[in-house]
Amino acid sequence: MSLPLLILASLWACADVGGTVADAQGRRDTLVIGVPSDAKNMLYVVSSSASDSAIIEATTSSLFDSDFSCALRYTPEMATEWSFSEDGTRIDMTLRDDLTWEDGTRLTARDVAATYALVADPKVGSPRLDMTEHMRPDARPHVIDDTHLRWEFTHAYDRTTMLAHTSLTPVPAHRLRDADPGSLRSHPLNALAPLSSGPWRVATWEKNARLVLAPNDAWTGPVEDRPRLRRVIFKVLPEYATRLVELENGAIDLMEGVLVADADKLATEHPEISLHRRGWRSMDYVAWNSLDPADVRATAGTRAKGQVPDPTRVKPHPIFADREVRRALAGALDVERMIADLLTSRVTGEVYGRPAIGTITPALCGVHADDVAPVPYAPDAARARLAELGWRDTDGDGILDKAGQPMRFTLLLNSGNARREKAAVLVQAQLRRVGVDVQLDKVESNAFFERLRRRDYEAALSGWSAGLFVDPGSIWGEGSAFNFTSYRNPRVTALIAQGLAEPDPERARATWQELQRVIHEDQPYAFLYWMDEIVAVHDRFQDTTIDVLSPYRRLNRWSVPADRVKYRY
Amino acid sequence: MLAHLARKLLLAIPLLAGVMTLLFFLVELAPGDACDAFVNPDMDPDAIAQIRASLGCDAPVLVRYARQMGNMARLEFGTSLAQQRPVVEVIAAHLPNTVVLSLLTIVIAQGLGIVVGILQSVHQRRFVDGALSVLTLFFFSMPGFWLALVLQLVFSLAWPILPSSGMTDPVVHDYMPPLAQAWDRLLHLVLPATALGLAAAAGDARYMRSSMLEVLQADFVRTARAKGLSERTVLLRHAFRNAMLPLITLLGLNLPFLFSGAVLVEYVFAWPGMGRVIVGAIQSQDVPLVMGCFFVFTLLVVAGNLLADLLYAVVDPRVRYR
Repeated sequence: MSLPLLILASLWACADVGGTVADAQGRRDTLVIGVPSDAKNMLYVVSSSASDSAIIEATTSSLFDSDFSCALRYTPEMATEWSFSEDGTRIDMTLRDDLTWEDGTRLTARDVAATYALVADPKVGSPRLDMTEHMRPDARPHVIDDTHLRWEFTHAYDRTTMLAHTSLTPVPAHRLRDADPGSLRSHPLNALAPLSSGPWRVATWEKNARLVLAPNDAWTGPVEDRPRLRRVIFKVLPEYATRLVELENGAIDLMEGVLVADADKLATEHPEISLHRRGWRSMDYVAWNSLDPADVRATAGTRAKGQVPDPTRVKPHPIFADREVRRALAGALDVERMIADLLTSRVTGEVYGRPAIGTITPALCGVHADDVAPVPYAPDAARARLAELGWRDTDGDGILDKAGQPMRFTLLLNSGNARREKAAVLVQAQLRRVGVDVQLDKVESNAFFERLRRRDYEAALSGWSAGLFVDPGSIWGEGSAFNFTSYRNPRVTALIAQGLAEPDPERARATWQELQRVIHEDQPYAFLYWMDEIVAVHDRFQDTTIDVLSPYRRLNRWSVPADRVKYRY
Repeated sequence: MLAHLARKLLLAIPLLAGVMTLLFFLVELAPGDACDAFVNPDMDPDAIAQIRASLGCDAPVLVRYARQMGNMARLEFGTSLAQQRPVVEVIAAHLPNTVVLSLLTIVIAQGLGIVVGILQSVHQRRFVDGALSVLTLFFFSMPGFWLALVLQLVFSLAWPILPSSGMTDPVVHDYMPPLAQAWDRLLHLVLPATALGLAAAAGDARYMRSSMLEVLQADFVRTARAKGLSERTVLLRHAFRNAMLPLITLLGLNLPFLFSGAVLVEYVFAWPGMGRVIVGAIQSQDVPLVMGCFFVFTLLVVAGNLLADLLYAVVDPRVRYR
């Protein structure tokens, strides 16, 4: 043992503090999770980040638990059963009657209704406001009694999505009755100390340093769901390298987002750390802007602030407005090579990526169009196709041109993402081989998103996290702020409307697969690859849930065998 | 002396106003604003407008500037847009952590810098001087961020004798007796303070060396030696006190640098200080918090200068302020 730590141990021993393996309830050990950023919001209605969600999920009873196996499936939690009406526009729900808030007040249907009212109130500014858009305008869920609720929708659509729109995590109505909706973010229950209704409670919250969860002894939920660990600590470590060092030296037990090269090192040097894959959670793509950014800027004065440009009133992009050019460019990109370089283990040869054909994750295996093949890498064919379309190197400078205009554009990307930076260099080199001159423009993340939103770019290397139920409207819907390429295809618009309104899963699946085929034909993006996320966790933990939904879920069920306990106090 | 201090403090007011104005418009020039984090661009435009209004982002830029400067003049820093807490509360929670880190850094920087500088001057143009010159130049040129990562890899991973992040052990600190808790805190300070202190010490050593060499040529040193005083007395009682003057200026100038220079080191060591608050505030374009933080930094520049003035008067009897 090193001298400083020896002194520390001696000082501790002098005080005669005897450590115990388990507490009076038999709970053992502590899980330390290294997280890049602190949680900010403890109230579900204003929470927005994954850090917020992890804490809220552990400390609050939700209406549903969920599983994921090819599709999201809701299972009972606070809601014990639910049924749809004949016409599919109404859901009747029965809730548990034995749940309470930490202060002893019962958790009832009234809390759910109050939560819904806050989500729907624009003054709150809830990031979940869109959950309410298909509910009836007088949309507050109807409270039949403390344990029965009725939800009414304007029309029937996919049932999982309808359930998702009701899947609220209640806030304590009795403590927020007099709260100003516009100031909920600064409310003590949000910013300082949340009120628990779940198996854990927040015992300590040192902002930007650590958040400690301890078992909520007042919890009245099922005995088998009571925590088996003594504490869970979220340690805020903003720097990736620090998280990795702490995982290796044992200061933290769990880290998400491990890079492939580091996973190799962990696998070879740290047998006590197990590596888990979270399948196809995110993708990278190259977006081809169909609008001319110079004209977007020139016409900015004609639009209200924040309004996206109307594609019919802005000049098309001289290169990317042509679908055939986009398809040829996609054929010039060697995605397999990118996966080999960026997402393949040098030690084990394991591959953590697969070519993408669209924005619906392959994890949704019932919906993903497996029959659509990625655009094959064929640079000669791509060059020939571009020549057919009029793009030839007429002046011998190595760059294709057409009517005096060279095929030259700027690829925008955000700083701080090493993988995308390498991918951008590969895109640049591969397109150069077919005579396309790509300049890279790396900007800070806020500026990057702002330029995508304003459509003020030519091409952009960006990415999406997978949605776990299908709602392509935000990415491909006409006029959507997130339709960064201003892509328009009436067939796609019709398929989105048809799929969203289809309550029958089989028919919806056919619609979504057709949608993927059409979009893949049009190539508004060059779809690059889907990635597995790697989560590293110390192998003394058992009964862990690390899946596509979260890198650490159902923390109340995690446990450590008595002979492997690390922390005794 | 008092008049001099008062004059300096008065001069700080236009300095503060200038810095705050510059900052406000620099943050404004960046695309987007803090309210973007609270709205989904696909939301109903009326709802977006309502949210922006409730957060105070809807007013024209000049109105927001006037409002912000008026608040600053009344020493009201407002509420952090991103954290939704009073700016004063955010600063009060993090400033003490940075102060602790900076004080230890100053001790390391000045202590090590003085010792190395004296050693080099005494052994001028010999092996010790050369070796220490190479070392000081090495640490002076190393980016703090890189040095911090190297220290972490060496002392927390390869030879794990020191904690790699945070202010305390997150798991067992709460259960330690007071003495062990104090030791735990000290251990957590070592690496960040060393990362910050080594670069500053290297600079101080260069100044100290040249200052000592200059003083050692002075007549009064020759006189002291002629009187038959021991070399130790000549060095420490006569030469050292006079050679200290440039370092006192440095101390004053280093004070704000240590606070702002800690940004990246705080990031690497997850030290919950002002550096990380500023990085977060700038990333989220949180104007009130950015301005509150830099208000404190500007005050530190002024305070550092005043401190240097005061120390000059203490060390050098020829200096008198009127």
